[in-house]
Amino acid sequence: MKHLASHGLQKSLRLRLLAGTLFWIAASIIAAGWGLGNLFQRHVEAQFHAELKTHLDQLTAQLTLDDKGLPTLALPLSDPRLSRPYSGCYWQIDEIKADASAASGLLRSRSLWDHVLAVPPDTPANGEIHQHRIVGPEGKALGMVERSVRIDDTPDGKPRSYRLIAAADESLMTEPVASFSGALWLALVVLGIGLVLAALVQVFVGLAPLRKLHAALGKVRSGETPQLDGDFPAEIMPLVDEFNTVLAQNAEVVERARTQAGNLAHALKTPLSVLANAATSANPQQNELARLVVDQVDTARKQVDYHLTRAQAAATTRMPGTRTPLLPIIDGLVRAMQRIHAERALELRVQPMPETLAFRGDAHDLQEMLGNLLDNACKWASHRVEINAASNGDQLLITFDDDGQGLAAEQRESVIQRGVRADEKVSGSGLGLAIVADLTQMYGGGVVLQDSPLGGLRVVLTLPGLTRPAPARP
Amino acid sequence: MRILIVEDEPTLQAQLAEGLGAAGYAVDTAGNGVDGHSQGDTEPYDAVVLDLGLPQMDGITVLRKWRTAGRTMPVLILTARDGWHEKVAGIDAGADDYLTKPFHMEELLARLRALIRRAGGHASAELCCGPLTLDTRNQRATVDGQALTLTSHEYRVLAYLMHHRDQVVSRSDLVEHIYAQDFDRDSNTVEVFIARLRKKLPPGLIETVRGLGYRLTAPQ
Repeated sequence: MKHLASHGLQKSLRLRLLAGTLFWIAASIIAAGWGLGNLFQRHVEAQFHAELKTHLDQLTAQLTLDDKGLPTLALPLSDPRLSRPYSGCYWQIDEIKADASAASGLLRSRSLWDHVLAVPPDTPANGEIHQHRIVGPEGKALGMVERSVRIDDTPDGKPRSYRLIAAADESLMTEPVASFSGALWLALVVLGIGLVLAALVQVFVGLAPLRKLHAALGKVRSGETPQLDGDFPAEIMPLVDEFNTVLAQNAEVVERARTQAGNLAHALKTPLSVLANAATSANPQQNELARLVVDQVDTARKQVDYHLTRAQAAATTRMPGTRTPLLPIIDGLVRAMQRIHAERALELRVQPMPETLAFRGDAHDLQEMLGNLLDNACKWASHRVEINAASNGDQLLITFDDDGQGLAAEQRESVIQRGVRADEKVSGSGLGLAIVADLTQMYGGGVVLQDSPLGGLRVVLTLPGLTRPAPARP
Repeated sequence: MRILIVEDEPTLQAQLAEGLGAAGYAVDTAGNGVDGHSQGDTEPYDAVVLDLGLPQMDGITVLRKWRTAGRTMPVLILTARDGWHEKVAGIDAGADDYLTKPFHMEELLARLRALIRRAGGHASAELCCGPLTLDTRNQRATVDGQALTLTSHEYRVLAYLMHHRDQVVSRSDLVEHIYAQDFDRDSNTVEVFIARLRKKLPPGLIETVRGLGYRLTAPQ
């Protein structure tokens, strides 16, 4: 699991950004909560003890001895809590005897009622103030301060020492701290949730262009668009532009190669034509030679055609972003066939098909495959040829039916076989299926020969397809 | 029947001219697209053999210009590229047929015959008019099965009249379709050819339409 998590962190930009942000948010909130809580507690404690000291000072100021030498207060202390029983604020005066034993509770606040504060034995030096925690009435924890006061001016002349004690219930201090802490943490948690939400939104919004880029690339790969489309932020735009440039260069290279291949074909075939014509019009005595030349020229032509088509397809099948609508290609070929086979007055019927059908690949290659198959069907048909196309998921199914002689099952096998083992045969078989089989294989499709319901041969061509329409160009 | 050959390779052009000439056609040649276009635009050809890979103006452009200008003569394109892309483009530009290089001369002749025949609305390679039959495949004319001996110019005049039977053909039409461009034309010779043909054919087959020209019709 740990491995997986660290793997995810390394792989995902989003997780990385989120993890960093969340860590810092948590750390800052904990530090802030702890720091603010501490600060407040110290403040409340200081206030608590300051109040106790105020009581202690008042007590010190009011302490006098009466005529009998007993301690008494000149005026009662002002804080009303000191007179309400068990109010939480108390004072007490103990006398410290000469032998250091103490007579506790000599004088007590009214609030103490019948309780005597049990104070740990302690004798603060003159002027010192000591702090203690003790258990007070009803078992409550009290914070207390004490101070020793020595009175020399006594009726009997013996100096006396008193311990003055001011105490208060610690809940007077802890309650505000607790309620403050509660409010503080609630506020911090709300703040934290807000920050986390903001971080999530920021990460998702910030990374949205990457998701868009991903979708755009997917469209290029599937051939829906020829290049990356759409507006991207300035940070990503250079990447998009570079990628589009590479795509354009790619297409240009293929186009150049295709033109060069065409030029090569032209340059080769014109001399071949001259040679073949010269041979046929040669002296009848050299008939043997003439036939040889004509045959070899024919072979050379087929080889040139076959390998040029293959080479072109090898370049184009690897091109991303190509998409060829099917219907215009079929219509063009049907127009051509009607002209080429005009003598035969064939009925060429294209069954209705969705206009959105498209081939995921190059137009020339598609034309080559469909042209050869349609030409075959026209050659072998007696009256009718039917073309059908449909999509099956990501695949394009194109069917050619003719009402000709058909082809025996064994022959079908060998025709397809020859297409597969292209290098071992003379290319361009009588059916012209070799190049079709090769091209479909390059595109990951297939050709199957069957009996046609029209009586002749049915050729089923399977090709990678696209059914979604291309997005409208702005 | 007068044919224009537009082909830039001189040897192939010469071979084509020789082959078509031997098949009884009057042949003009052009070595580049611009010349080919202007010739095809001004002269009344019965068919054109057009190479697609031409210097100065490519064959598709030449063909498209002719068709845009309303020139309807049948055009057979010669292409070095075997791709269907090129064939479809050629036919969409207005070609009537195509032939891939290298080709057999017999095939070219057969396709041309078929094109010319189709342009004249004839279904068969054998053209008939009463007792007269003309086989365009071997340039043989027969009357009731009896072969006629014709000179090449006589054959051209007869073939043109047969392709346009029952139509009035003017003398200048005949001149334009039986002579190649660089031939020293003399319209009077047409009358000589007609006179010779009349001697060889059954009487009444070739009528003279006064002031207009000639008409070949089967006797009633």
